[in-house]
Amino acid sequence: MKKSLMLLMTLIFVASAMLAGCGKSDNNNAPANEGQTSTNNGGNEAKVNDEPFEITIRHTQVGESKKFRLAMLEDVVKQTQEAVPGLTIKLDAVDSEVNRKEKLRGEMAAGKPPEVFDVFGSPDAALYAKEGLMLDITPILDELGLKDKFTTLAPFTVEDKIYGLPIGGSIEGFFYNKEYFEQKSLKVPATLDELDKLAEAIKADGKIPFAQASKDAWIPLMTTNNLWSYYAGPEITYGFKTGETKWNDENMIKAVAKHKEWVDKGYYKKGELGFEYADMRNQVVTGEAIMMMDGSWANSVFRDAEQAGDMVGKVGFFNMPPVNAGDPVIVMQDANNGYGFSAAVAEDPRKLQAVKEFIKNMWTDEMQLRGLKEDGVLPAMKMDLEQMKTTSDDPLMQDIFKAVSEIGTSFPAFDALVQAEVNTALSMGIQQIIGGEIEPAKMLENIQAAQEAANAAAQ
Amino acid sequence: MNKALRNPLIYLIFVIPAFVLFLAFFIYPVFTAVNNSFTSWNGISKNITYIGFDNFVTAFNDAAFWKSVKNNVYFILFSCLIQVPLIVIFSLLIANVKKFKGLYKTAVFMPSIMSTAVIGILWGFIYNPDFGLANKILGVFGVSPVYWLSDKDWAMISILITNAWQWTGFYIVMVLAAILAIPKELEEAAAIDGATGFQRATKITIPLIMPIISVVIMLSIAGAMKAADIVLVMTKGGPAGSTDVMATYMIRYAITSFRHGFGNSIAVLIFVFTIIITVLYQVLISKRTERIEY
Repeated sequence: MKKSLMLLMTLIFVASAMLAGCGKSDNNNAPANEGQTSTNNGGNEAKVNDEPFEITIRHTQVGESKKFRLAMLEDVVKQTQEAVPGLTIKLDAVDSEVNRKEKLRGEMAAGKPPEVFDVFGSPDAALYAKEGLMLDITPILDELGLKDKFTTLAPFTVEDKIYGLPIGGSIEGFFYNKEYFEQKSLKVPATLDELDKLAEAIKADGKIPFAQASKDAWIPLMTTNNLWSYYAGPEITYGFKTGETKWNDENMIKAVAKHKEWVDKGYYKKGELGFEYADMRNQVVTGEAIMMMDGSWANSVFRDAEQAGDMVGKVGFFNMPPVNAGDPVIVMQDANNGYGFSAAVAEDPRKLQAVKEFIKNMWTDEMQLRGLKEDGVLPAMKMDLEQMKTTSDDPLMQDIFKAVSEIGTSFPAFDALVQAEVNTALSMGIQQIIGGEIEPAKMLENIQAAQEAANAAAQ
Repeated sequence: MNKALRNPLIYLIFVIPAFVLFLAFFIYPVFTAVNNSFTSWNGISKNITYIGFDNFVTAFNDAAFWKSVKNNVYFILFSCLIQVPLIVIFSLLIANVKKFKGLYKTAVFMPSIMSTAVIGILWGFIYNPDFGLANKILGVFGVSPVYWLSDKDWAMISILITNAWQWTGFYIVMVLAAILAIPKELEEAAAIDGATGFQRATKITIPLIMPIISVVIMLSIAGAMKAADIVLVMTKGGPAGSTDVMATYMIRYAITSFRHGFGNSIAVLIFVFTIIITVLYQVLISKRTERIEY
């Protein structure tokens, strides 16, 4: 009797556990269905409907360093909610790398990204757009008159349609120790040859001419990318994907050879292949290195006493100079990170209205200047230089504004123009160059092979 | 109860929940990975094209893939030829310690409960070319600084040492438990017969703990084949891919490049290689050491 009772109890336990599992599943479905019904209703009665509805904004403004950007986003959210009746915006904060590499990709694979999400233009947005997962915002930009107001929308443009908007911009150039330059009576170089001589003089003085940390290959590739845009022209990068230009072009070899020459001459700290990004900045902060190629975003480090210590106010910025004196200054000027929108928004007029309002409030001159003032991020939208100068009287920011004003031709970073697998091959190649494992011609031959494979796969 | 257990239906009721979980979280993902490995899927698209064995052919024709396989082999060899003997030696030493045995056990076990990220940072300081402990010690003997993580000739060995440091203590605790489980009478009898400490260790203790050593080797092989985190934390597979193992090769060449089909083919290869090596080890070596008779 006891055994039967125990068996019965066990069976009841197993059965109830299974039923409980099913029960939970049903509960989960219920609100989702309700939500869907409400959404559909919203879609049918959009014009006068003020029934509550919700959209989610996935952002990456996490942590102390992004508090100003988060405050800006929250202000935009407030304005948007006030303008659209019934709208509630849910903010979903996720770390940038986690969002880019895991969460957003997973949601895209499932076909259900949030209505608004942080996204990198290339290659991510281009791929999502091709799969029909992102909203074509070209008509919205036309309606709001914003289409021609950006410095570049290339990373977010696929077949003449725009799928996202950059939140800020940047240029790449050299940060340098102004105090050291003054002490040694050194001048900002006007040609690459002068830069060479400057580096030679700094090395002879026992200092490291260029701070660099190549554990992540994108860091040395900033230098390479700017060098090849001088030697082979900035337009060459646009042709790699179409097959019109080749990586192993004679002038490309010259550019990589120049970078290799700097490595061979000992202009970078030995062992830099194992250094992290932060190590590179520390080399400048400690006075060990005198110049550093980096994005303009690094200004926040040299303006913050906690990070830069005594170097605050002692760091300047200049563009990489041209090969010949008087030639136009060619500089990487990019805007690859911003917000994209789910294609599903187009099916719901109220959500579409919310997205339109969000764009209207987020991309204004006022917000762009606020980003520049509080965060030191250059505007993604075209902006009058004098207006930019008024946002900060910091000498480093003034140097950066001056560098922007000197740009003759700008180009987007190479990774916005080539496939991800080509970027991988290039990353490997530049580390091999720095490690002295390969010659420039062979390195570029390998990248060309990767490019051809990627182009063939795309077809 | 016995009657009930003779009924196959009752067995089924007990087995089905676990079996469903096993299917959902092991068999199904493995099947999906194998299926995806024959496609050119980018990880996003709804249109999936089957391309036969192309992904596997691409991997087999890529020198970088074979370099990563070679690094996995280094992991295995380092574990089996250097780490395991050290584990046995330290276990024997700790087992024979009279005082503070608990302290030693805790001390050696500590690294295995630390996160790999912490260990990466800690050893990053030790390997720092300017102020790291490793170069400070070498400097005492007049050796010029070694660029541990920047030099492709040193980066792999640096990772292997760190990895061994992390896991040696875990295995020592396992082997130590086996040593302490050996009946005391055996050692005492040998001691009375005049066997030295070395003789007792090599003729009595080690033969009796061979099954657990065999398990340690098996676990080391499996761990070596799936190693990734320590490489990512310390070198990210660099410099120039010289420390890439198969798992980091998969991340570098497949996952970050939206080549999920290719990535799955590498995952399948890791799975197949691991099975082949462990089965070979079981059949050729491990089976001979399984039985112990006191």
